Amino acid sequence: MAFAGPVLLKRIPDDPAKRKLINIEEYIATGGYESLRKAQSMTPDQIIQLVIDSNLRGRGGAGFPCGSKWKFLPKDIHPRYLAVNFDESEPGTFKDRYLTDYDPHVLLEGIAIAAYTNRIAVSYIYIRGEYHRQARILEKALEEAYARGIFGQKIPGTDIAHNCYVHRGAGAYICGEETGLLESLEGKRGWPRIKPPFPAIAGAFAKPTIINNVETLACLPYIIEHGADWFKAMGTASSAGPKLFGVSGLVNKPGVYEEELGIKMSTLIEKYAGGIKGGKYRAAIPGGVSMGVLGTDQYDAELDFDIGRKYNVLGLGTAGVIVMTDKTDLVVMLRNIVRFFAHESCGQCTPCREGTAWMHKMLNRIVAGYGKPHDFDLLMEVGLSMGSMPGTTICGLADGANWAVRTFLQKFPEDFKARLKSDQVQGVTLDAQAAAAV
Amino acid sequence: MPTMDVDGKKIAWEGKKMILQACLDAGMEIPHYCYHQGLSIVASCRICLVEIESPDPKDPAKLVKVPKLVPSCQTPAVDGMKVHSISPKSIANQKAVMEFLLLNHPLDCPVCDQAGECHLQDYSYQYGRSESRFEEDKAKKPKKDIGKHVVLYSDRCIMCTRCVRFTREISGTGELAVFGRGHREEIDVFQGKSLDNPLSGNVIDICPVGALLDKDFLFTQRVWFLKKVPSISPFSSGGENIFIEHNQGRVYRIKPRFNANVNKWWISDDIRYGWDFVHNNRLQTPVAKGVPQELSAAQGIGQLDQAVKKAAAGNAGSTMLILNAFDSTEEMFLAAQWMRRIDPQAWLVVTEPKIDGQDQIFKNPASGAVTHIIYAEKAPNRRGAEKVLAKLGGNVCKLVDVPGKIRAGQVRSALVLADPLGHADQELETALVGLETLLVLSTRPDGLVSQATLALPVCTWAEKSGVFENHAGLIQAFKQAIAPLDNTRSTGSIFWDLMDLAGTYDAAAVRHMMSEAGLAEYDAVALPEHHETIELMQFTEL
Repeated sequence: MAFAGPVLLKRIPDDPAKRKLINIEEYIATGGYESLRKAQSMTPDQIIQLVIDSNLRGRGGAGFPCGSKWKFLPKDIHPRYLAVNFDESEPGTFKDRYLTDYDPHVLLEGIAIAAYTNRIAVSYIYIRGEYHRQARILEKALEEAYARGIFGQKIPGTDIAHNCYVHRGAGAYICGEETGLLESLEGKRGWPRIKPPFPAIAGAFAKPTIINNVETLACLPYIIEHGADWFKAMGTASSAGPKLFGVSGLVNKPGVYEEELGIKMSTLIEKYAGGIKGGKYRAAIPGGVSMGVLGTDQYDAELDFDIGRKYNVLGLGTAGVIVMTDKTDLVVMLRNIVRFFAHESCGQCTPCREGTAWMHKMLNRIVAGYGKPHDFDLLMEVGLSMGSMPGTTICGLADGANWAVRTFLQKFPEDFKARLKSDQVQGVTLDAQAAAAV
Repeated sequence: MPTMDVDGKKIAWEGKKMILQACLDAGMEIPHYCYHQGLSIVASCRICLVEIESPDPKDPAKLVKVPKLVPSCQTPAVDGMKVHSISPKSIANQKAVMEFLLLNHPLDCPVCDQAGECHLQDYSYQYGRSESRFEEDKAKKPKKDIGKHVVLYSDRCIMCTRCVRFTREISGTGELAVFGRGHREEIDVFQGKSLDNPLSGNVIDICPVGALLDKDFLFTQRVWFLKKVPSISPFSSGGENIFIEHNQGRVYRIKPRFNANVNKWWISDDIRYGWDFVHNNRLQTPVAKGVPQELSAAQGIGQLDQAVKKAAAGNAGSTMLILNAFDSTEEMFLAAQWMRRIDPQAWLVVTEPKIDGQDQIFKNPASGAVTHIIYAEKAPNRRGAEKVLAKLGGNVCKLVDVPGKIRAGQVRSALVLADPLGHADQELETALVGLETLLVLSTRPDGLVSQATLALPVCTWAEKSGVFENHAGLIQAFKQAIAPLDNTRSTGSIFWDLMDLAGTYDAAAVRHMMSEAGLAEYDAVALPEHHETIELMQFTEL
């Protein structure tokens, strides 16, 4: 554990008044694009080995080792593509937006390094549809980088000219799922693909494709600059490096903060986010609503990739922490979460399409005061049959919905049971839904 | 041959196959909705999930249990694999998927045309629960008129997307798409478009539920009353395999019958909806010079016999038999044999089938593979007719020469087997009408009938058996579906009697005669399997 200060956010001042968009001159003046030059003096195999040695794991949610992902690319099949997953749509997650708002070039440098390493012909920055401002920032930054010859030139030692484009999504959470993203990128409906083939073999336009999160790529320039040991010195054995944590909910200073992986959630809330706002800590979502919820006794949970195993949540996810206090209505909270999944389910697989909507309707009824005792078990059962057995659906959305519902019910049963009355008669459903709709 | 163990049964397959397909080919059912052998795999309905134990690549003798359920439609079968489709975990998933599918389904089976041949009903019977735990309101979705032949009940749809894939991959027209997202999504046509392609009716067949229904068949008959009879398309030279579905002497619909070498799972709308000539506009009484005659069948045949013999007497070579490419080869063979027995120099002619432009070739836009061909030649048996003519030889002429021969007085009488679809050739008809003796066997009351010396009613292909030879020389048998309409007889049976053959008309016996006459291939024609009723699913005891 050796976190000496911000890495990814080193160019972004803490004081909101002093923050501003960093253009290419300022970026270069503070050592920017040096790592790209250094990378180009190395062989691709050396860089991949460095990334593997640094134990850089994907920052998009699944935590898959970045170097291993690159190694899956089949040799000698070209062109190859890089899709940058900037479809940051998980509720509670806004780290990539924050980074790009001020320091877009670190992402572009990361892209250029990944492209050099993997001999990428075209990189697509797939950006969430609602991120108008960030798309404009990236387009402008790209223009600057093109003018400096960072893109559009042949990758040294090859005949491959590397281009980079910003591709805006149309506002669907599911397009953040990597194969949904590829479908959308190809101009199709963003329905996740069945695997195999995996994107590394046949991804965008049926060619080998790497899909990396914005923050993962933004780590690359620093790993090249400082080396694997420096990177591994931060974090824990399984979870190396610095991490952007988004904190929202009932805290005094919501925002994006950088710390090393493995810090305690309590530290994050108290040291950085200004402590709990008006009440006592009750629950928190560790990293986007699909990860499930941490209980009242899990305030000190270490935020790293082992959190799922240790604290009965799905994982670290995007590290977008949402804090709830004793003043938060957890039933309403879960209803909102499930409403999100019901709204965002792509509709491809039966369990997710029907199950999320069913749970949403059930929770609406419970919130409206017409819950019945058996609803508790039924909610649990529907959640489990949607995603208890991985593989029940094509992608992980159903699993995410299941984890949210299941952990809320398991960790806060009393909140729900208090709402489930036994004296309700049949036939009140319509009123209940009308009430819930208001 | 590789084998795997599915619920204790040995399943063998050849080549590369997915688990589900290998099971289906071996006659074993794993429930499925979105999977269709003729379409791409999407693995989205999730009811076909199974537990598997796969051989360890390092030590094939050892089986490794895959921790999660896998879609059997998408997972390749591996030699030595063990598949559990009725294990507690698999069944739990099947039950859950059934419950999910029925949440917003209106359960209006009593008024749904699909009832009786609905996968949702079948699987519900096997996996469903007896009552719903869904207390909320069902999502309401509209009924849509999406095309010339097809109506879409969106509320019954289970979003398997078979129809969408059909229009994208088979017809290549892409009219259908999924609109909306999640539980609100619906199948629809793009604004201002309609499902209007020559293969549109096939989406009705592949819809596993009652969402896409046939306007032509809508509310006409409950499907469990229908009997299925294997037949061959009587409209085109493709030799498409079909089922005639009938009840109480009436045809209700035509469905495609799978044949890997001919039409696969598909038929064109021409074939599907072209059968109204079976019941409409039929000749049901003998007609002489435009006057209906009260004649028994035997009397009618006797008069025909007399008329031909009288015309032929002393005028060898002045008679003519005009065949059409809609009759079975056996019938044409018998007719020509009889004609030549009376007048050994009788002229034999076959009418030219209607050619409707070019063959329509459908391709998968993505792969370029040919998915279906609608043949331009609109008659089922030109090659059969030509074979009979070539075999018998002698005075055979082309249709274009007929008016000339009549005008020159060379031909003075003709027996015409009329086209059941009533395609008219003005020049030929004018010439035929001027003959001394014109005898017609017709299914229709129009055309030459009113002008004929004697016209006898005959029946359509649905009322008789026989064989057709398609454009590629494939000889395929079709079976009689319904009894001949009142007062009609099959052309074959008329000539059978005229030839004084024992018993009643028997197509197989005629094929044997043909084979003895040198058309050996006709003796070996395989008869299609007879399906009395709709195939019932084989239920596994749970």
